[in-house]
Amino acid sequence: MKELWLTPTALPSIPVEAEVICPDVVAGRTLKDVSSLEVYVGNKTHILGEFFEVEGELAEQASEQMIVVDGTCQTVKYIGAKMTAGSVHVKGCAGMHAGSQMSGGEMLVEGNTRDWAGAEMSGGLLRIQDDSRNMTGGAYRGSPEGMTGGCIVVEGDAGVELGSFMRRGMIVVKGDVAPFCGVHMNGGEIFIMGQAARRLGAEAKGNGGFIACLGGVDEILPTYVHETTYKPTFMKLYMRQLRDVLGLEEAARFLETPFRRYVGDLAVGGNCEILVAEK
Amino acid sequence: MMSFEYNGVEIEDTFAEGFAMWGTRIIITAKNRKWANIAAAEMTGFATSVIACDCEAAVEREIPPEETPDGRPGVAVMMFGFSKKRLSAPMLNRIGQCVLTCPTTAIFNGIPEEEADDMLDVGASLRFFGDGYQVKMRMGDGWQESQRYWRIPVMEGEFLAEAKFGAKKAVAGGNFLIMGVDEDSTLEASERSIEAIHTVPGVITPFPGGLCRSGSKVGSKYAFLKASTNTPFCPTIKTSFPESQVPEGANCVIEVVLNGLDEPSVMKAMAVGIRAATEVPGVKRITAVNFGGKLGKFNLGLKEALEDA
Repeated sequence: MKELWLTPTALPSIPVEAEVICPDVVAGRTLKDVSSLEVYVGNKTHILGEFFEVEGELAEQASEQMIVVDGTCQTVKYIGAKMTAGSVHVKGCAGMHAGSQMSGGEMLVEGNTRDWAGAEMSGGLLRIQDDSRNMTGGAYRGSPEGMTGGCIVVEGDAGVELGSFMRRGMIVVKGDVAPFCGVHMNGGEIFIMGQAARRLGAEAKGNGGFIACLGGVDEILPTYVHETTYKPTFMKLYMRQLRDVLGLEEAARFLETPFRRYVGDLAVGGNCEILVAEK
Repeated sequence: MMSFEYNGVEIEDTFAEGFAMWGTRIIITAKNRKWANIAAAEMTGFATSVIACDCEAAVEREIPPEETPDGRPGVAVMMFGFSKKRLSAPMLNRIGQCVLTCPTTAIFNGIPEEEADDMLDVGASLRFFGDGYQVKMRMGDGWQESQRYWRIPVMEGEFLAEAKFGAKKAVAGGNFLIMGVDEDSTLEASERSIEAIHTVPGVITPFPGGLCRSGSKVGSKYAFLKASTNTPFCPTIKTSFPESQVPEGANCVIEVVLNGLDEPSVMKAMAVGIRAATEVPGVKRITAVNFGGKLGKFNLGLKEALEDA
Protein backbone atom coordinates (compact mmCIF):
# COMPACT_ATOMS: atom_id res chain seq x y z
CA MET A 1 0.00 0.00 0.00
CA LYS A 2 1.40 3.42 -0.97
CA GLU A 3 1.40 6.16 1.64
CA LEU A 4 0.48 9.78 1.03
CA TRP A 5 1.45 11.99 3.97
CA LEU A 6 -0.48 15.15 4.71
CA THR A 7 1.01 17.28 7.46
CA PRO A 8 -1.15 20.17 8.66
CA THR A 9 0.73 23.45 8.50
CA ALA A 10 -1.50 26.46 9.13
CA LEU A 11 -5.10 25.44 9.65
CA PRO A 12 -7.50 28.37 10.00
CA SER A 13 -9.93 28.68 12.89
CA ILE A 14 -12.81 28.42 10.40
CA PRO A 15 -13.38 24.79 9.42
CA VAL A 16 -11.82 23.48 6.22
CA GLU A 17 -14.10 21.28 4.16
CA ALA A 18 -11.69 18.72 2.74
CA GLU A 19 -13.58 15.77 1.32
CA VAL A 20 -10.62 15.44 -1.04
CA ILE A 21 -8.71 13.72 1.77
CA CYS A 22 -9.95 10.41 0.47
CA PRO A 23 -8.13 7.54 -1.28
CA ASP A 24 -10.66 7.59 -4.13
CA VAL A 25 -9.87 11.23 -4.90
CA VAL A 26 -6.09 11.14 -4.66
CA ALA A 27 -5.38 7.77 -6.30
CA GLY A 28 -4.07 8.08 -9.83
CA ARG A 29 -2.95 11.69 -9.38
CA THR A 30 0.45 13.32 -8.92
CA LEU A 31 1.60 15.05 -5.73
CA LYS A 32 1.23 18.37 -7.51
CA ASP A 33 -2.35 17.54 -8.46
CA VAL A 34 -3.13 16.55 -4.90
CA SER A 35 -1.70 19.83 -3.58
CA SER A 36 -3.96 21.67 -5.98
CA LEU A 37 -7.19 19.92 -4.98
CA GLU A 38 -9.86 22.37 -3.94
CA VAL A 39 -11.02 22.72 -0.37
CA TYR A 40 -13.46 25.19 1.10
CA VAL A 41 -13.09 27.60 3.98
CA GLY A 42 -16.27 29.49 4.66
CA ASN A 43 -17.38 30.81 1.27
CA LYS A 44 -13.87 30.85 -0.16
CA THR A 45 -12.16 28.22 -2.30
CA HIS A 46 -8.61 27.27 -1.43
CA ILE A 47 -6.23 24.49 -2.33
CA LEU A 48 -5.16 21.62 -0.09
CA GLY A 49 -1.51 22.63 -0.33
CA GLU A 50 -2.25 25.87 1.54
CA PHE A 51 -3.05 23.92 4.69
CA PHE A 52 -1.10 20.69 4.33
CA GLU A 53 2.37 19.73 3.33
CA VAL A 54 1.85 16.99 0.74
CA GLU A 55 4.42 14.24 0.28
CA GLY A 56 4.70 10.51 -0.18
CA GLU A 57 3.56 8.11 -2.89
CA LEU A 58 0.38 7.84 -4.85
CA ALA A 59 -1.20 4.61 -6.04
CA GLU A 60 -3.14 4.00 -9.21
CA GLN A 61 -6.02 2.39 -7.36
CA ALA A 62 -7.80 3.63 -4.26
CA SER A 63 -7.52 0.17 -2.75
CA GLU A 64 -3.72 0.53 -2.73
CA GLN A 65 -3.72 4.02 -1.32
CA MET A 66 -3.14 4.96 2.29
CA ILE A 67 -3.44 8.55 3.45
CA VAL A 68 -1.69 9.50 6.65
CA VAL A 69 -2.79 12.80 8.18
CA ASP A 70 0.11 13.57 10.44
CA GLY A 71 -1.40 15.78 13.10
CA THR A 72 -4.57 16.98 14.73
CA CYS A 73 -7.24 18.35 12.39
CA GLN A 74 -10.24 19.09 14.56
CA THR A 75 -11.34 21.83 12.18
CA VAL A 76 -10.95 19.74 9.03
CA LYS A 77 -14.28 18.30 7.98
CA TYR A 78 -15.10 15.28 5.82
CA ILE A 79 -11.78 13.46 6.10
CA GLY A 80 -12.34 10.06 4.51
CA ALA A 81 -15.90 10.92 3.57
CA LYS A 82 -17.36 8.74 0.81
CA MET A 83 -14.24 6.59 0.60
CA THR A 84 -14.83 3.21 -1.01
CA ALA A 85 -11.46 1.54 -0.48
CA GLY A 86 -7.95 2.05 0.80
CA SER A 87 -7.02 3.44 4.15
CA VAL A 88 -6.94 6.74 6.03
CA HIS A 89 -4.93 7.16 9.21
CA VAL A 90 -5.31 10.38 11.20
CA LYS A 91 -2.57 10.74 13.77
CA GLY A 92 -4.62 13.04 15.93
CA CYS A 93 -8.18 14.31 16.04
CA ALA A 94 -10.52 14.65 13.07
CA GLY A 95 -13.24 17.21 12.43
CA MET A 96 -16.93 16.75 11.68
CA HIS A 97 -18.20 14.14 9.21
CA ALA A 98 -15.05 12.01 9.39
CA GLY A 99 -15.67 8.82 7.41
CA SER A 100 -19.24 9.86 6.69
CA GLN A 101 -20.92 7.91 3.91
CA MET A 102 -17.87 5.71 3.50
CA SER A 103 -18.62 2.39 1.84
CA GLY A 104 -15.33 0.55 2.10
CA GLY A 105 -11.75 0.63 3.28
CA GLU A 106 -10.50 1.44 6.75
CA MET A 107 -10.16 4.67 8.64
CA LEU A 108 -8.32 5.07 11.90
CA VAL A 109 -8.46 8.23 14.00
CA GLU A 110 -6.01 8.22 16.88
CA GLY A 111 -7.72 11.10 18.64
CA ASN A 112 -11.35 12.08 18.91
CA THR A 113 -13.87 12.99 16.25
CA ARG A 114 -16.53 15.70 16.15
CA ASP A 115 -20.18 15.25 15.17
CA TRP A 116 -21.43 12.96 12.41
CA ALA A 117 -18.44 10.62 12.29
CA GLY A 118 -19.38 7.65 10.10
CA ALA A 119 -22.79 9.15 9.39
CA GLU A 120 -24.74 7.14 6.84
CA MET A 121 -21.83 4.79 6.43
CA SER A 122 -22.55 1.73 4.29
CA GLY A 123 -19.32 -0.23 4.49
CA GLY A 124 -15.77 -0.36 5.75
CA LEU A 125 -14.30 0.02 9.20
CA LEU A 126 -14.01 3.32 11.10
CA ARG A 127 -12.03 3.15 14.30
CA ILE A 128 -11.86 6.12 16.64
CA GLN A 129 -9.37 5.67 19.45
CA ASP A 130 -10.84 8.39 21.65
CA ASP A 131 -14.26 9.99 22.06
CA SER A 132 -16.70 10.58 19.25
CA ARG A 133 -19.21 13.37 19.52
CA ASN A 134 -22.86 13.43 18.55
CA MET A 135 -24.72 11.57 15.81
CA THR A 136 -21.94 9.06 15.24
CA GLY A 137 -23.14 6.64 12.56
CA GLY A 138 -26.40 8.56 12.40
CA ALA A 139 -28.67 9.72 9.62
CA TYR A 140 -28.45 13.21 8.28
CA ARG A 141 -31.54 15.24 9.04
CA GLY A 142 -34.36 14.27 6.74
CA SER A 143 -32.76 11.00 5.72
CA PRO A 144 -34.72 7.80 6.49
CA GLU A 145 -31.63 5.63 7.02
CA GLY A 146 -28.41 6.09 8.95
CA MET A 147 -25.79 3.41 8.81
CA THR A 148 -26.57 0.66 6.31
CA GLY A 149 -23.39 -1.34 6.76
CA GLY A 150 -19.83 -1.29 7.99
CA CYS A 151 -18.45 -1.04 11.48
CA ILE A 152 -17.62 1.86 13.78
CA VAL A 153 -15.52 1.31 16.86
CA VAL A 154 -15.33 4.15 19.38
CA GLU A 155 -12.78 3.44 22.05
CA GLY A 156 -13.84 6.41 24.19
CA ASP A 157 -17.31 7.82 24.87
CA ALA A 158 -19.95 8.70 22.28
CA GLY A 159 -22.38 11.61 22.14
CA VAL A 160 -26.12 11.78 21.64
CA GLU A 161 -28.06 9.98 18.93
CA LEU A 162 -25.42 7.37 18.25
CA GLY A 163 -26.66 5.20 15.38
CA SER A 164 -29.86 7.12 14.79
CA PHE A 165 -32.01 5.55 12.07
CA MET A 166 -29.47 2.74 11.85
CA ARG A 167 -30.45 0.07 9.32
CA ARG A 168 -27.52 -2.36 9.26
CA GLY A 169 -23.92 -2.62 10.34
CA MET A 170 -22.32 -2.48 13.75
CA ILE A 171 -21.27 0.19 16.24
CA VAL A 172 -19.16 -0.61 19.27
CA VAL A 173 -18.47 1.92 22.02
CA LYS A 174 -15.98 1.00 24.70
CA GLY A 175 -16.97 3.91 26.90
CA ASP A 176 -20.28 5.53 27.82
CA VAL A 177 -22.94 6.77 25.44
CA ALA A 178 -25.14 9.85 25.78
CA PRO A 179 -28.97 9.78 25.50
CA PHE A 180 -30.98 8.65 22.51
CA CYS A 181 -28.58 5.96 21.38
CA GLY A 182 -30.20 3.97 18.57
CA VAL A 183 -33.12 6.35 18.23
CA HIS A 184 -35.33 5.26 15.31
CA MET A 185 -33.09 2.22 14.87
CA ASN A 186 -34.37 -0.27 12.29
CA GLY A 187 -31.68 -2.95 12.21
CA GLY A 188 -27.99 -3.27 12.95
CA GLU A 189 -26.17 -3.82 16.20
CA ILE A 190 -24.90 -1.43 18.84
CA PHE A 191 -22.64 -2.60 21.64
CA ILE A 192 -22.02 -0.33 24.60
CA MET A 193 -19.34 -1.47 27.00
CA GLY A 194 -19.69 1.52 29.31
CA GLN A 195 -22.82 3.07 30.74
CA ALA A 196 -25.76 3.72 28.41
CA ALA A 197 -27.69 6.89 29.13
CA ARG A 198 -31.48 7.08 29.16
CA ARG A 199 -33.87 6.89 26.24
CA LEU A 200 -31.82 4.45 24.23
CA GLY A 201 -33.79 2.79 21.47
CA ALA A 202 -36.49 5.47 21.46
CA GLU A 203 -38.91 4.86 18.58
CA ALA A 204 -36.79 1.96 17.34
CA LYS A 205 -38.66 -0.42 15.07
CA GLY A 206 -36.34 -3.38 15.34
CA ASN A 207 -36.07 -5.47 12.21
CA GLY A 208 -33.41 -7.64 13.80
CA GLY A 209 -31.63 -4.69 15.36
CA PHE A 210 -30.47 -4.68 18.95
CA ILE A 211 -28.58 -2.63 21.49
CA ALA A 212 -26.38 -4.61 23.85
CA CYS A 213 -25.56 -2.80 27.08
CA LEU A 214 -22.58 -4.51 28.63
CA GLY A 215 -21.79 -1.91 31.25
CA GLY A 216 -25.21 -1.00 32.56
CA VAL A 217 -27.98 1.35 31.59
CA ASP A 218 -29.42 4.43 33.32
CA GLU A 219 -33.01 3.48 32.58
CA ILE A 220 -35.08 1.58 30.06
CA LEU A 221 -37.95 3.39 28.41
CA PRO A 222 -41.34 2.31 29.76
CA THR A 223 -42.31 1.41 26.21
CA TYR A 224 -39.88 -1.54 26.33
CA VAL A 225 -41.06 -4.75 27.98
CA HIS A 226 -38.84 -7.17 29.85
CA GLU A 227 -39.16 -10.64 28.29
CA THR A 228 -36.66 -12.85 30.07
CA THR A 229 -33.13 -13.24 31.32
CA TYR A 230 -31.10 -15.81 29.44
CA LYS A 231 -27.74 -16.66 27.88
CA PRO A 232 -28.19 -16.07 24.17
CA THR A 233 -26.05 -18.31 21.98
CA PHE A 234 -25.88 -15.65 19.30
CA MET A 235 -24.17 -13.27 21.71
CA LYS A 236 -21.22 -15.66 21.88
CA LEU A 237 -20.69 -15.11 18.16
CA TYR A 238 -20.64 -11.37 18.59
CA MET A 239 -18.40 -11.43 21.65
CA ARG A 240 -15.93 -13.62 19.79
CA GLN A 241 -16.09 -11.25 16.83
CA LEU A 242 -15.41 -8.25 19.09
CA ARG A 243 -12.51 -10.05 20.73
CA ASP A 244 -10.95 -11.82 17.76
CA VAL A 245 -11.67 -9.47 14.86
CA LEU A 246 -11.77 -6.06 16.52
CA GLY A 247 -9.27 -6.83 19.27
CA LEU A 248 -11.62 -5.83 22.10
CA GLU A 249 -10.41 -8.27 24.73
CA GLU A 250 -12.99 -7.07 27.28
CA ALA A 251 -15.69 -8.79 25.24
CA ALA A 252 -14.43 -12.17 26.41
CA ARG A 253 -15.85 -11.41 29.85
CA PHE A 254 -19.37 -11.55 28.43
CA LEU A 255 -19.17 -14.91 26.67
CA GLU A 256 -21.10 -16.64 29.44
CA THR A 257 -23.02 -13.66 30.78
CA PRO A 258 -26.81 -13.78 31.07
CA PHE A 259 -28.66 -10.88 29.47
CA ARG A 260 -31.97 -9.25 30.34
CA ARG A 261 -33.96 -9.06 27.13
CA TYR A 262 -36.24 -6.06 26.57
CA VAL A 263 -38.31 -5.56 23.42
CA GLY A 264 -39.75 -2.31 22.07
CA ASP A 265 -40.29 0.45 21.29
CA LEU A 266 -43.95 -0.41 21.68
CA ALA A 267 -44.80 3.23 21.08
CA VAL A 268 -44.14 2.56 17.41
CA GLY A 269 -44.95 -1.18 17.39
CA GLY A 270 -41.27 -2.04 17.28
CA ASN A 271 -39.49 -5.27 18.14
CA CYS A 272 -36.01 -3.86 18.68
CA GLU A 273 -34.10 -5.64 21.43
CA ILE A 274 -32.18 -4.10 24.28
CA LEU A 275 -29.99 -6.71 25.92
CA VAL A 276 -28.57 -5.70 29.26
CA ALA A 277 -25.75 -7.78 30.68
CA GLU A 278 -26.37 -9.03 34.22
CA LYS A 279 -23.69 -7.94 36.63
CA MET B 1 -10.22 -61.57 -11.86
CA MET B 2 -6.73 -60.12 -11.64
CA SER B 3 -5.45 -59.45 -8.18
CA PHE B 4 -2.36 -58.18 -6.40
CA GLU B 5 -0.95 -58.58 -2.95
CA TYR B 6 -0.80 -55.84 -0.35
CA ASN B 7 0.57 -56.45 3.16
CA GLY B 8 0.20 -60.13 2.41
CA VAL B 9 -3.50 -59.85 1.61
CA GLU B 10 -4.98 -60.53 -1.81
CA ILE B 11 -6.59 -57.40 -3.26
CA GLU B 12 -8.72 -57.83 -6.34
CA ASP B 13 -7.85 -55.41 -9.11
CA THR B 14 -11.34 -54.03 -9.39
CA PHE B 15 -13.16 -50.85 -8.58
CA ALA B 16 -15.93 -49.52 -6.40
CA GLU B 17 -18.58 -47.84 -8.45
CA GLY B 18 -19.25 -44.40 -7.05
CA PHE B 19 -22.13 -42.23 -8.11
CA ALA B 20 -22.83 -38.51 -7.96
CA MET B 21 -24.76 -36.99 -5.09
CA TRP B 22 -24.98 -33.59 -3.45
CA GLY B 23 -23.30 -33.34 -0.10
CA THR B 24 -23.31 -30.85 2.73
CA ARG B 25 -21.75 -30.40 6.13
CA ILE B 26 -23.59 -29.11 9.18
CA ILE B 27 -21.84 -28.12 12.39
CA ILE B 28 -23.95 -28.83 15.45
CA THR B 29 -22.87 -27.20 18.69
CA ALA B 30 -24.32 -27.48 22.16
CA LYS B 31 -23.67 -26.57 25.77
CA ASN B 32 -21.52 -29.64 26.18
CA ARG B 33 -20.30 -32.61 24.18
CA LYS B 34 -23.08 -34.85 25.47
CA TRP B 35 -25.85 -32.77 23.88
CA ALA B 36 -23.91 -32.11 20.69
CA ASN B 37 -23.45 -35.84 20.23
CA ILE B 38 -27.09 -36.59 21.05
CA ALA B 39 -28.28 -34.10 18.43
CA ALA B 40 -25.87 -35.47 15.85
CA ALA B 41 -26.93 -39.05 16.54
CA GLU B 42 -30.59 -38.14 16.20
CA MET B 43 -30.03 -36.19 13.04
CA THR B 44 -28.10 -38.95 11.33
CA GLY B 45 -30.42 -41.77 12.37
CA PHE B 46 -32.02 -43.94 9.68
CA ALA B 47 -29.81 -42.46 7.00
CA THR B 48 -27.67 -45.39 5.89
CA SER B 49 -28.67 -45.70 2.26
CA VAL B 50 -30.95 -43.96 -0.19
CA ILE B 51 -32.26 -47.41 -1.05
CA ALA B 52 -34.85 -46.80 1.66
CA CYS B 53 -33.81 -43.65 3.54
CA ASP B 54 -34.46 -40.06 2.55
CA CYS B 55 -30.72 -39.30 2.57
CA GLU B 56 -27.37 -40.69 3.62
CA ALA B 57 -25.86 -39.07 6.67
CA ALA B 58 -23.33 -39.64 9.39
CA VAL B 59 -21.04 -37.89 11.80
CA GLU B 60 -17.82 -36.78 10.16
CA ARG B 61 -15.96 -35.84 13.34
CA GLU B 62 -16.22 -34.18 16.71
CA ILE B 63 -15.07 -30.57 16.73
CA PRO B 64 -13.29 -29.02 19.72
CA PRO B 65 -14.78 -25.81 21.14
CA GLU B 66 -11.93 -23.65 19.86
CA GLU B 67 -12.85 -24.54 16.26
CA THR B 68 -16.61 -23.92 16.40
CA PRO B 69 -18.21 -20.54 15.63
CA ASP B 70 -19.71 -20.16 19.10
CA GLY B 71 -16.85 -21.71 21.07
CA ARG B 72 -18.90 -24.67 22.29
CA PRO B 73 -18.29 -28.38 21.64
CA GLY B 74 -19.41 -29.36 18.19
CA VAL B 75 -20.01 -32.22 15.82
CA ALA B 76 -19.66 -32.11 12.05
CA VAL B 77 -22.45 -34.00 10.34
CA MET B 78 -22.49 -34.69 6.62
CA MET B 79 -25.57 -35.40 4.56
CA PHE B 80 -25.94 -36.61 0.99
CA GLY B 81 -28.90 -36.55 -1.37
CA PHE B 82 -29.46 -37.24 -5.05
CA SER B 83 -30.24 -33.61 -5.88
CA LYS B 84 -30.18 -30.26 -4.15
CA LYS B 85 -33.90 -30.56 -3.55
CA ARG B 86 -33.58 -34.10 -2.23
CA LEU B 87 -30.83 -32.91 0.05
CA SER B 88 -32.45 -29.76 1.39
CA ALA B 89 -35.75 -31.51 2.17
CA PRO B 90 -34.25 -34.06 4.59
CA MET B 91 -31.99 -31.36 5.97
CA LEU B 92 -35.00 -29.28 6.88
CA ASN B 93 -36.85 -32.26 8.34
CA ARG B 94 -33.93 -33.55 10.33
CA ILE B 95 -32.80 -30.16 11.61
CA GLY B 96 -36.38 -29.35 12.50
CA GLN B 97 -37.14 -32.60 14.29
CA CYS B 98 -33.77 -33.62 15.69
CA VAL B 99 -31.72 -30.49 16.34
CA LEU B 100 -34.25 -27.72 16.90
CA THR B 101 -35.80 -29.98 19.52
CA CYS B 102 -32.54 -30.89 21.23
CA PRO B 103 -31.66 -28.71 24.25
CA THR B 104 -28.97 -26.02 23.87
CA THR B 105 -28.05 -26.78 20.26
CA ALA B 106 -27.17 -24.41 17.42
CA ILE B 107 -26.24 -25.17 13.81
CA PHE B 108 -23.71 -23.63 11.48
CA ASN B 109 -22.70 -24.07 7.88
CA GLY B 110 -19.71 -26.37 7.44
CA ILE B 111 -18.88 -25.63 3.80
CA PRO B 112 -17.93 -21.99 3.13
CA GLU B 113 -19.53 -20.35 0.12
CA GLU B 114 -16.22 -20.14 -1.77
CA GLU B 115 -15.84 -23.93 -1.53
CA ALA B 116 -19.47 -24.77 -2.28
CA ASP B 117 -21.09 -25.43 -5.63
CA ASP B 118 -24.32 -23.95 -4.35
CA MET B 119 -25.83 -22.61 -1.16
CA LEU B 120 -28.99 -24.20 0.24
CA ASP B 121 -31.24 -21.68 1.95
CA VAL B 122 -32.58 -24.05 4.58
CA GLY B 123 -33.13 -21.18 6.99
CA ALA B 124 -35.75 -19.69 4.68
CA SER B 125 -38.05 -22.57 5.64
CA LEU B 126 -36.65 -23.42 9.04
CA ARG B 127 -37.44 -19.94 10.35
CA PHE B 128 -41.18 -20.59 10.16
CA PHE B 129 -40.88 -22.79 13.24
CA GLY B 130 -40.62 -19.45 15.06
CA ASP B 131 -44.22 -18.72 14.12
CA GLY B 132 -43.53 -15.09 13.37
CA TYR B 133 -41.28 -14.41 16.37
CA GLN B 134 -38.09 -15.49 14.66
CA VAL B 135 -35.36 -12.86 14.39
CA LYS B 136 -33.10 -12.48 11.38
CA MET B 137 -29.55 -11.90 12.49
CA ARG B 138 -27.03 -10.27 10.20
CA MET B 139 -23.33 -10.17 10.87
CA GLY B 140 -20.51 -8.43 9.06
CA ASP B 141 -22.58 -6.32 6.68
CA GLY B 142 -20.27 -4.10 4.68
CA TRP B 143 -17.06 -4.81 6.55
CA GLN B 144 -16.70 -8.56 6.76
CA GLU B 145 -18.12 -11.49 4.93
CA SER B 146 -21.87 -11.23 5.44
CA GLN B 147 -23.38 -13.96 7.55
CA ARG B 148 -27.05 -14.62 8.09
CA TYR B 149 -28.65 -16.51 10.94
CA TRP B 150 -32.09 -17.13 12.29
CA ARG B 151 -32.86 -16.91 15.97
CA ILE B 152 -35.90 -19.04 16.67
CA PRO B 153 -37.55 -18.83 20.09
CA VAL B 154 -37.94 -22.22 21.76
CA MET B 155 -39.16 -23.12 25.24
CA GLU B 156 -35.64 -23.68 26.52
CA GLY B 157 -34.34 -20.39 25.13
CA GLU B 158 -33.37 -19.73 21.56
CA PHE B 159 -32.31 -21.91 18.64
CA LEU B 160 -29.61 -20.30 16.52
CA ALA B 161 -29.38 -21.54 12.94
CA GLU B 162 -27.21 -20.30 10.12
CA ALA B 163 -29.42 -19.44 7.16
CA LYS B 164 -27.53 -21.02 4.27
CA PHE B 165 -25.52 -24.20 3.97
CA GLY B 166 -22.92 -24.94 1.35
CA ALA B 167 -23.54 -27.96 -0.87
CA LYS B 168 -21.10 -29.69 -3.19
CA LYS B 169 -21.34 -32.15 -6.00
CA ALA B 170 -20.07 -35.17 -4.14
CA VAL B 171 -19.25 -38.83 -4.53
CA ALA B 172 -21.22 -41.63 -2.90
CA GLY B 173 -20.90 -45.37 -3.06
CA GLY B 174 -17.22 -45.75 -2.28
CA ASN B 175 -16.81 -49.23 -0.87
CA PHE B 176 -14.68 -52.25 -0.29
CA LEU B 177 -15.40 -55.72 1.05
CA ILE B 178 -13.25 -57.34 3.71
CA MET B 179 -13.31 -61.12 3.61
CA GLY B 180 -11.88 -62.93 6.60
CA VAL B 181 -11.51 -66.37 7.99
CA ASP B 182 -13.98 -65.69 10.79
CA GLU B 183 -16.21 -63.06 12.33
CA ASP B 184 -13.66 -61.89 14.91
CA SER B 185 -10.87 -61.10 12.46
CA THR B 186 -13.20 -59.61 9.85
CA LEU B 187 -14.93 -57.37 12.37
CA GLU B 188 -11.64 -56.23 13.86
CA ALA B 189 -10.25 -55.44 10.42
CA SER B 190 -13.43 -53.56 9.55
CA GLU B 191 -13.33 -51.54 12.76
CA ARG B 192 -9.71 -50.60 12.14
CA SER B 193 -10.68 -49.54 8.63
CA ILE B 194 -13.35 -47.23 9.97
CA GLU B 195 -10.95 -45.67 12.47
CA ALA B 196 -8.51 -44.98 9.67
CA ILE B 197 -11.17 -43.63 7.31
CA HIS B 198 -12.32 -41.13 9.92
CA THR B 199 -8.91 -39.48 9.81
CA VAL B 200 -9.72 -38.29 6.28
CA PRO B 201 -11.66 -34.99 6.21
CA GLY B 202 -14.79 -34.76 4.10
CA VAL B 203 -15.69 -38.45 4.27
CA ILE B 204 -18.42 -40.29 6.16
CA THR B 205 -19.40 -43.90 6.59
CA PRO B 206 -23.20 -43.85 6.87
CA PHE B 207 -23.88 -47.47 7.83
CA PRO B 208 -24.01 -48.74 11.43
CA GLY B 209 -20.57 -48.13 12.86
CA GLY B 210 -19.56 -47.50 9.27
CA LEU B 211 -20.13 -51.12 8.31
CA CYS B 212 -22.67 -52.90 6.17
CA ARG B 213 -22.80 -56.62 6.86
CA SER B 214 -25.60 -57.35 4.41
CA GLY B 215 -24.10 -55.71 1.40
CA SER B 216 -26.57 -54.88 -1.31
CA LYS B 217 -27.18 -55.54 -4.93
CA VAL B 218 -29.57 -53.91 -7.36
CA GLY B 219 -32.89 -55.74 -7.68
CA SER B 220 -34.02 -59.12 -6.41
CA LYS B 221 -36.04 -62.07 -7.53
CA TYR B 222 -39.06 -60.33 -6.04
CA ALA B 223 -40.56 -57.67 -8.28
CA PHE B 224 -41.53 -55.43 -5.37
CA LEU B 225 -38.01 -55.26 -3.94
CA LYS B 226 -35.56 -52.92 -5.63
CA ALA B 227 -32.51 -54.14 -3.73
CA SER B 228 -31.51 -57.24 -1.83
CA THR B 229 -28.52 -58.57 0.10
CA ASN B 230 -25.36 -59.16 -1.83
CA THR B 231 -25.89 -62.91 -2.17
CA PRO B 232 -22.69 -63.59 -4.14
CA PHE B 233 -20.75 -62.55 -1.04
CA CYS B 234 -22.81 -64.37 1.60
CA PRO B 235 -20.60 -67.15 3.05
CA THR B 236 -23.50 -69.18 4.44
CA ILE B 237 -24.67 -69.91 0.88
CA LYS B 238 -21.33 -69.96 -0.85
CA THR B 239 -21.79 -73.52 -2.01
CA SER B 240 -25.47 -73.45 -2.83
CA PHE B 241 -25.30 -70.07 -4.58
CA PRO B 242 -23.97 -70.88 -8.04
CA GLU B 243 -22.08 -67.61 -8.63
CA SER B 244 -20.67 -67.16 -5.15
CA GLN B 245 -17.59 -64.96 -4.97
CA VAL B 246 -16.59 -65.91 -1.44
CA PRO B 247 -13.07 -67.36 -1.62
CA GLU B 248 -12.02 -70.63 -0.10
CA GLY B 249 -11.30 -70.20 3.59
CA ALA B 250 -13.36 -67.05 4.02
CA ASN B 251 -16.34 -67.31 6.32
CA CYS B 252 -17.28 -63.70 6.97
CA VAL B 253 -17.58 -60.65 4.70
CA ILE B 254 -18.20 -57.07 5.78
CA GLU B 255 -18.60 -54.10 3.50
CA VAL B 256 -17.24 -50.66 4.27
CA VAL B 257 -19.29 -47.96 2.54
CA LEU B 258 -18.23 -44.36 2.32
CA ASN B 259 -19.33 -41.07 0.83
CA GLY B 260 -17.16 -38.02 0.36
CA LEU B 261 -17.26 -34.45 -0.79
CA ASP B 262 -14.91 -35.23 -3.68
CA GLU B 263 -13.31 -38.16 -5.47
CA PRO B 264 -9.76 -37.72 -4.09
CA SER B 265 -11.09 -37.77 -0.52
CA VAL B 266 -13.01 -40.99 -1.16
CA MET B 267 -10.00 -42.59 -2.85
CA LYS B 268 -7.73 -41.61 0.02
CA ALA B 269 -10.22 -42.90 2.58
CA MET B 270 -10.52 -46.20 0.72
CA ALA B 271 -6.75 -46.53 0.67
CA VAL B 272 -6.23 -45.88 4.37
CA GLY B 273 -9.16 -48.15 5.18
CA ILE B 274 -7.83 -51.02 3.10
CA ARG B 275 -4.35 -50.57 4.49
CA ALA B 276 -5.65 -50.73 8.06
CA ALA B 277 -7.66 -53.87 7.29
CA THR B 278 -4.69 -55.69 5.82
CA GLU B 279 -2.80 -55.29 9.08
CA VAL B 280 -5.19 -57.67 10.85
CA PRO B 281 -4.33 -61.40 10.66
CA GLY B 282 -7.09 -63.50 9.16
CA VAL B 283 -8.08 -61.19 6.34
CA LYS B 284 -8.11 -63.32 3.19
CA ARG B 285 -9.14 -61.02 0.42
CA ILE B 286 -10.39 -57.49 -0.23
CA THR B 287 -12.53 -56.55 -3.17
CA ALA B 288 -15.09 -53.92 -4.14
CA VAL B 289 -18.60 -53.85 -5.50
CA ASN B 290 -19.47 -52.47 -8.89
CA PHE B 291 -22.10 -52.96 -11.51
CA GLY B 292 -19.92 -52.83 -14.56
CA GLY B 293 -20.13 -49.07 -14.74
CA LYS B 294 -23.91 -49.01 -15.14
CA LEU B 295 -24.69 -47.36 -11.81
CA GLY B 296 -22.29 -44.46 -11.44
CA LYS B 297 -19.67 -42.47 -13.24
CA PHE B 298 -16.88 -42.86 -10.68
CA ASN B 299 -14.66 -45.92 -11.01
CA LEU B 300 -12.83 -45.95 -7.71
CA GLY B 301 -10.09 -48.51 -8.36
CA LEU B 302 -8.57 -50.27 -5.38
CA LYS B 303 -5.13 -50.47 -6.98
CA GLU B 304 -5.22 -46.80 -8.01
CA ALA B 305 -6.35 -45.78 -4.54
CA LEU B 306 -3.49 -47.64 -2.86
CA GLU B 307 -0.96 -46.37 -5.38
CA ASP B 308 -2.13 -42.75 -5.02
CA ALA B 309 -2.03 -42.96 -1.26
